[in-house]
Formats: sequence, C-alpha cells, structure tokens
Amino acid sequence: MTAIDTEHLPDPTPPGAKLSYDFAGFPWWLVGILATIAFPVYKLLTDETWNDGFLFIKDGLTLTFIVTFAGFAIAMVLGLGVSLARMSKRAVPRNIAMYYIELIRGIPVLVTIIMFGLVIVPWFFSRAGIDPQSTIGSKAIRASVAIGLIYAAFIAEVLRAGIESVEKGQREAGMSVGLNNRQVFRFIVWPQAIRNIMPALGNDLIALLKDSSLVSILAVREITQMSRLWTGRNFQFFTGFMILAAMYLTLTVGLSLLLQWYERRIATP
Amino acid sequence: MKNATRIFVLALVLGLVATACSSADESLEGRTVTVAIENLYPPFNFIDEVTGQGAGFDYDIWNEICSRLDCKAEFVEAVWPDVILETGDGVYDTAADGISITEERKEVVAYSDSYMTTIQKIMVRSDESRWATADEFFASNSKLGTQVGTTNYELATTLTNESNIDAFDLFPTAVLALLSGDVDAVIIDDVAGQGYVGEGNEGTKLLEGDLQSDPLGFIYAKGSELIDPVNEIIADMKSDGTMDKLIKKWFIDFKA
Repeated sequence: MTAIDTEHLPDPTPPGAKLSYDFAGFPWWLVGILATIAFPVYKLLTDETWNDGFLFIKDGLTLTFIVTFAGFAIAMVLGLGVSLARMSKRAVPRNIAMYYIELIRGIPVLVTIIMFGLVIVPWFFSRAGIDPQSTIGSKAIRASVAIGLIYAAFIAEVLRAGIESVEKGQREAGMSVGLNNRQVFRFIVWPQAIRNIMPALGNDLIALLKDSSLVSILAVREITQMSRLWTGRNFQFFTGFMILAAMYLTLTVGLSLLLQWYERRIATP
Repeated sequence: MKNATRIFVLALVLGLVATACSSADESLEGRTVTVAIENLYPPFNFIDEVTGQGAGFDYDIWNEICSRLDCKAEFVEAVWPDVILETGDGVYDTAADGISITEERKEVVAYSDSYMTTIQKIMVRSDESRWATADEFFASNSKLGTQVGTTNYELATTLTNESNIDAFDLFPTAVLALLSGDVDAVIIDDVAGQGYVGEGNEGTKLLEGDLQSDPLGFIYAKGSELIDPVNEIIADMKSDGTMDKLIKKWFIDFKA
C-alpha cells in the first residue's frame, strides 16, 4: 500500500459538529463591514445630498491612488536598499541606514509631511532655482515622495526582519552547493523570506493608504481634502465624512482581502 | 427646623433681588461664556510672542462685552471650519474668528448683528511686479492660495479655475505657500491682511482692487440667550466709539 485512499476514509467530524464549525468559521466580521458600508451606499443612491457629496469627493480618488501606489513603489525600492545597508557588515552603510530609520521613526508622519512638503522642498527649490509650480514640484509628486520616504524606513525594518528570519543553515547549504552570494539571496533566502514578509508588508500598504489622508495638509486634492472642501462649503459634515470613511473602508478591506488571498497562494504547501 | 426655614426665606428674598437686578440691565450674572477662536488668524486672534497668551481683536471685544454684561469670557481654541457646526450644536456659546455672515451658514448657526465689515483683497509677495490690481491677477490665470471653508475660497471659485486654487487647512500655511512660491497670491480679508503686511512683514503686500465686501458677525447656536443682549452691547459700542477704538487698535495701528 503506497497511497492513502482519502475518498473512502470515514469523515472524522460528527454530523452535528460540522454545522457549528461552519457557523464559527463564517466571516461574520466581513458581513458587519459590508453592512457598515451598505448604509452610506444606500443613502447615496437614494438621497441627493449624499449623491452630490460622493460625486464631489470621488474626484479625489485619482490622487489617493497615485500617492498610495507611487508612494509604496518608492518605499519598496528605497526600503530594500536601506534594509540591505542596515544588514551590511560595513560600518558606514549600516550606520547611515540606522540613522535614517531612527530619524523617520522618531518624527510623526504628519510633521514629516509638513516639513518635507512645505518647508524643505520649497527651501531646496529656491536655492536650486527650480520653479515650485513646475511639474516636478507638483504637490502630487511632493506628497508621493514624502510618503515614500517615510514608509521606506518602516518597510526596511519589515524586510530585514523577514530576511533575518531565514535560518543561517539555509544560506550555508546554498553556499555548499556552489551558489554565490547573489544566487543564495535570489534562490534560497528571498523565496522563504517573502512568506514571512508578506503579512507585515500588506499591513504597511494598508497603513500607507490610510496615511495618504495626511497629505491633505499640503492642499493635495485626494479624497480627504475633497471632503474637507465639500463639508467646508455646506456644513454637511456627517454626510461628507460618512462617505469618506466608507470609501477608505472599501479600499482597505478590499486590499486586505486581496492580500489574504495572495498570502494563501504563496503559503508553504 | 427653624434655621432651615430662615435660610429658605433668605434664599427666596435674595433670589428675588437678583432677578430684579438682572432684568434691569441685561446681566448674565457672572456666567462663563465660551468663545471659540483659532489663535491662528491675526489680528483677530493669535498667540502673542512676548506673553505666550492669546491676544487680538476677538479677545478685546469679548472681554469688553463681558465686562458690560457681567459674564466671564473663556477663550477656547477650535478648528476651522468645523467650529461653525460645533457652535451650532452648542459645543461653544459663541465663536469670533472674523466670521463672514453668509446665507449657507445661517442654516446651521444664528448670527449677531454685524460688528464690522471687511473687504476681500489679493495679497502677493512684496517683490511681485506682474500685476498691480486684483483684476490683472485673475486675468493671468495664476495659482491662488486660500483656506478651506472660508468665504475667500467660495469667492475664489467664482473668479478663477478650480484647478488654480490650493485650499489649505490653516490660513498661515497659505501664506507660507505664497512666500515659498507654491502659489502666486492669497485671497484675504483686508483686515486680516494687515496682520501680514507692513513693518516686520516685508514679504507680502496687498494689490489694488476690492473683490467683495463681507459683514462679520459672531455666531451662536440657534435660539441662544446671548443673541439679544450682545446685539445691544454691539450697538452701544458702535455709538459710544468703543468699536472704532478697537478697530483702530487692531486693524490700523497694530503690527504683527
């Protein structure tokens, strides 16, 4: 007998237990979230004020997406560099990386955004003779870079933790079969590290999406700023911020489900 | 028992006397009136660099109103423009902050009579030579800074393309963006503009040309008991010269 015939094995769960297991395992939280989103959606389909608010605020989605995904791309590239420098045996890159991580983690996100967007960049532009109103100086780019610089520090630590979680023996085994450093990282360490990194990286992406609301302080017209403009002119604060909250919730929960699906896909079989 | 009766009668008599007094001259009987301000809108309200305390027109006028009405003004920092809805909901007794009287806002708050009128103007960097008047500025289609939820922002949307307007959460941030060149002008109430131009503030100047004139009023929750007594005091202060004195002190003589 070589393979177990699973089809004819008796069902280990008794009939009653199966029902209660499904009841407990059912994603009730998701039903709750959907119900929470359903209220504003119902209102905006039936109420003119809610509909007006949604149509006004949704124009900010483009910039919310730009800041989120451009910011995350910058954070990933820079963060990988910082994490490799942080793990370096050489003192100079390691200390520069540690300085950067502590600097960013030690300053509140909002303060960094104000500093970068309204103080440092304009100061640099005026010294370098760059027109702050040119495309390169646009608020969308400034906001994306600010968010990217901040999250690079967070992501660097996530990547480092993931890479260091791979046992030393794996590296040594790779070396012993004749792989060089680069090959060991690419084929042995990274595929194992990414499984440990993914959940934390997903959390950072969702946190970044939420923190993109902070760039509204730069007068960037993403969805938070759009709802500030809309409520500031008609005082429909309840409506405006319910719509805004529902939009963020839809985006973050959608992203979270997508990430959970991807984590299951790459999980160790 | 006898003592208790005596105290009760005494309290009743005192109560009657107090009621008689208050109806005679509109007294608020020493109650505290919470006045919402931002401390970010000179010369209406700001933190004095020397004393570290709040100062400005709003402080002086409400201390004066309260000294005449027998109340105690307590100044509370609030967030613009949310303060309008909060005051309408009764979070603060009133809000100062140089609030323009508009029909939209009347749907959520009650207004006092107007205590002064302001004119909206265009503020530019002091080395600006491209435009001499507000009309020339708007003809150029340049970037304009303003604050979220203000009549300045509302007016801006009628005078230029929405994509030319940067609306900041705080007024000083709009001025910062002007100085750094992110925007080329800021739309501002002339009286508030005085806090940013002139001596010690060589960075900015106002362009010729009045855009729109706005009456300013204090706001309350609808049905507030403060409305009538404060309106009487505002009328008194206008007729006895106190209002002119305060306006001269903060909007003409004062330099930030």
